[in-house]
Amino acid sequence: MELTWIILLVVAPMFAGIATVCLRGHVMAQRIVGLASLTACVMMSLSWLVALQPSGIFVQQIGGWSAPYGISVIFDSLSGVLIVAANIVGLAAYIHSFGSIRPKTEKGWFHPLFHLLMMGVNYAFLTGDLFNLFVAFEIMLMASYALLCISATREQLAQTYKYVILNLIGSTIFVLGAGLMYGMMGTLNYADLARLVAESVSVGTPLPTGFFAVSVMLVCVFALKAAVFPLWFWLPDTYHTSPIAICALFSGLLTKVGIYAMCRLYPMIFAAPGVREMSDNWLPTVLAYGAGATMLLGILASLPLTNIRRILACVLVSHMGYLIFGVVLLTDASMSGTLYYMAQHMIVMTALFLCCGLIEIKAGTDDLSKIGGLCKGSPWLGTMFMIAAMSLVGLPPFSGFYGKVLILGEGIRIGGVTNWSLTAIGLLTGALTLLVMAKVWSLAFWSPSKSIRSSESYPSPKLLKAQTTPGYIAVGILVIASLAIGLGAGPTLRVTDGATANLSQPTSYVNAVFQDIVFPPDAAALLERVHGDHADADDSHAVELHEETTR
Amino acid sequence: MTLLLSICVGVIFAVSIYLLLGKELKEVAMGVFLIGHGANLGILAMSGSPFMNVGGSIVPKGPPILGTGQQMVDPLPQALILTAIVIGFAVVAFLLTLLVATYRRTQELWIDDLAGDGKAMFLIDGAETKGKRAA
Repeated sequence: MELTWIILLVVAPMFAGIATVCLRGHVMAQRIVGLASLTACVMMSLSWLVALQPSGIFVQQIGGWSAPYGISVIFDSLSGVLIVAANIVGLAAYIHSFGSIRPKTEKGWFHPLFHLLMMGVNYAFLTGDLFNLFVAFEIMLMASYALLCISATREQLAQTYKYVILNLIGSTIFVLGAGLMYGMMGTLNYADLARLVAESVSVGTPLPTGFFAVSVMLVCVFALKAAVFPLWFWLPDTYHTSPIAICALFSGLLTKVGIYAMCRLYPMIFAAPGVREMSDNWLPTVLAYGAGATMLLGILASLPLTNIRRILACVLVSHMGYLIFGVVLLTDASMSGTLYYMAQHMIVMTALFLCCGLIEIKAGTDDLSKIGGLCKGSPWLGTMFMIAAMSLVGLPPFSGFYGKVLILGEGIRIGGVTNWSLTAIGLLTGALTLLVMAKVWSLAFWSPSKSIRSSESYPSPKLLKAQTTPGYIAVGILVIASLAIGLGAGPTLRVTDGATANLSQPTSYVNAVFQDIVFPPDAAALLERVHGDHADADDSHAVELHEETTR
Repeated sequence: MTLLLSICVGVIFAVSIYLLLGKELKEVAMGVFLIGHGANLGILAMSGSPFMNVGGSIVPKGPPILGTGQQMVDPLPQALILTAIVIGFAVVAFLLTLLVATYRRTQELWIDDLAGDGKAMFLIDGAETKGKRAA
C-alpha cells in the first residue's frame, strides 16, 4: 500500500531539531516544540500500526522514483512496533530531562541533539536499503557522540573517545560492506537483495563469492551496535557518565537499532532459507555462542557492582543475548518473541534507568552502599521500580514473560546441544537477573536508611518536587506502557506475528516494495549473469540488469 | 587498475590500523581519518574497472551521462562514496573538535593519562564521583 506520509516520522524530529536550534535560550519554547514532535510521532506511528493490521505494508517511494533505484521508506509491523516503542521511550526520557538535567546543560545543545537522535533512530527503522541504513546510523551516532560529552567533564570526554572511535570503525566496516554488497549483487535495496538471494537459491546458481564474507562484516557491525559478547565492552563504561535522561534514552534505543537491523536482514538475506543450510555458513553458530556468552557474562558482571547505573548497563547487555538467541533460532515464534521482547526491553530498561535518575535526585547518589530506606519517603517510586524490575526478570503477569517464553520455548522445541544449553543459560540468566534486581530493590528501598548526607545538602522540598515530578510522569508513562503490553499480550503478539510472517516469507514485502514493477520471466537468466563471473569486473552488470529489468 | 586500487586499499588499512592502535589521540584521529578513505577507495575498486576492451585496444568508459550512447561507468558507487566522504568529513570535524576541547579541559592527549592511570574497566567503588552528577 502506498502511504505518502511515512517520511513525516523523520521530518517531524528533523524540524523539531532545527526549530530548537533557532529557539536556543528559550527553554520553555524548546520543550513545547519537542513534546509536540515526539507526541506527534507516537500518535502517527501508533495509528498507522493499527491501520496496517493484520498484514499490510505501507511503502513510500521518495520523490516518486520506483523501488530499486529510488529510496524506499517502508512501514511494516516490524518497523511499526519498534517506532512506537522508540518514540514512547523518547517521550518519557524527554519529560524526565525537564527535572533531572542541569539547566546549564539544557540551555546548551541538548534539545536539538535529542531530536536529531530521534530522527536517526526513526529513519533507521523505516529505511528500505543498506546505504540509507548507514546514513541513518550516522545521524543517530553523530547526535549520540555529542550527547555523550554534553557537559564536557573529564570522565565524559574520556569515555566518549572509546565510544566514538569504536563506532567510527564500525561505520567504516559498514560502508565498506555496503559497497561490497553492491558490487556483488548490483543492488542495496533490502527487497531487491532478498529477491535476488531467493531466486539464486531456487534456480540453484551459487551466491557470488564473498557474499558470506560481506554478511559476516555487516553482522559484526550490527553486533557492535547491539553490544553482543566480544563487542560489548564499550557499553557499561559509556552509560554512567552522561546525564541520566540521555543515558536512559541510549539504553532504550541505540542497542536495539543494531538488533533491528539484524532482525530485518538476517532472515531475509544473510540466513535466507537455503543460505542458512549451506555447509560453510558458520554465522549462526558463532552468533549462538555470542548470544550465550552475552547473556551469562553480562549478568555475572553485574553481580559484584554497587552502582545502580552500572548494574543496569550490565543487565542491559546481558538481555541483548536473548534477542540474539531469538534471531538465531529463526523460527516464526522465536522472531515474534524477539520483536515483542525487544519492544518491552526498550520500555522497561528506560523505565529502570529513569527510576535510577529519581533515586539519584532523592538520595544524591546511585551507589547502593550509600542509599537505603527510600521506600519510606517515596513508596510510588519503589512500586514502579518493582514493576519494571519484575517485567525485566520476566515474572508471568508482566511483559518480559511472554517474550522469554516464546524464545526459550522455541529453543527447547528445536533442540540440539547448542539450543538446549542456550536455553539453560537463558533460564539461569533470568534467575540471576531476579537476584540482581532483588538486591538493588532491597538495598535501595527496603533496607534501613543511611544518613550519609548532611541535612543541608538535601534539596529543599519545593526544589525536590520540581525535579521529581517530570520524572514520576515519565516513569509512569513507561510503566503503564509496559503493563499494557504485558496484560494485552494477546493483541501485541498478533501484531508481532504479522511482522514475523513478512520476514520469513518476504514475498509480500518484496511485492509491496516493487509496487508496479513486473519482473521479466527470464529474470533467472539475468540473475545468472550477475552472479556469474564477476572477476572480470570491467563491465557494469548491475547497470545492465537494472536497465533490462525495467524494459 | 582494480588490482592497483585493491593494493592501495590494503596499504591504507594497514597504516590506519597501526595509527588507531597508537596511544596518542592525534594518531588515533588520523587513523580514523585514513580508514574512512580506505573504505571509500574500496567501494571504488568494487565498482569495476573504468576501462574496457574494444577490439583489442583498451579505452576508458564514458561518464555516466544519459544519451551519450557509450558504455558508461557505474555511477552509483560514486554517489555512495560522495555521501560517505561528506559524512566522514563531518565525523572528522567532530573528532578534531573533541580533541581540542579535551586538550583545553585536561591538557592531555594521551589515552592512558585521560583514562586515569589505567583504571580497571569496572570501577566497583565510587571512584568516578568527581564532576559526574547531572541531576
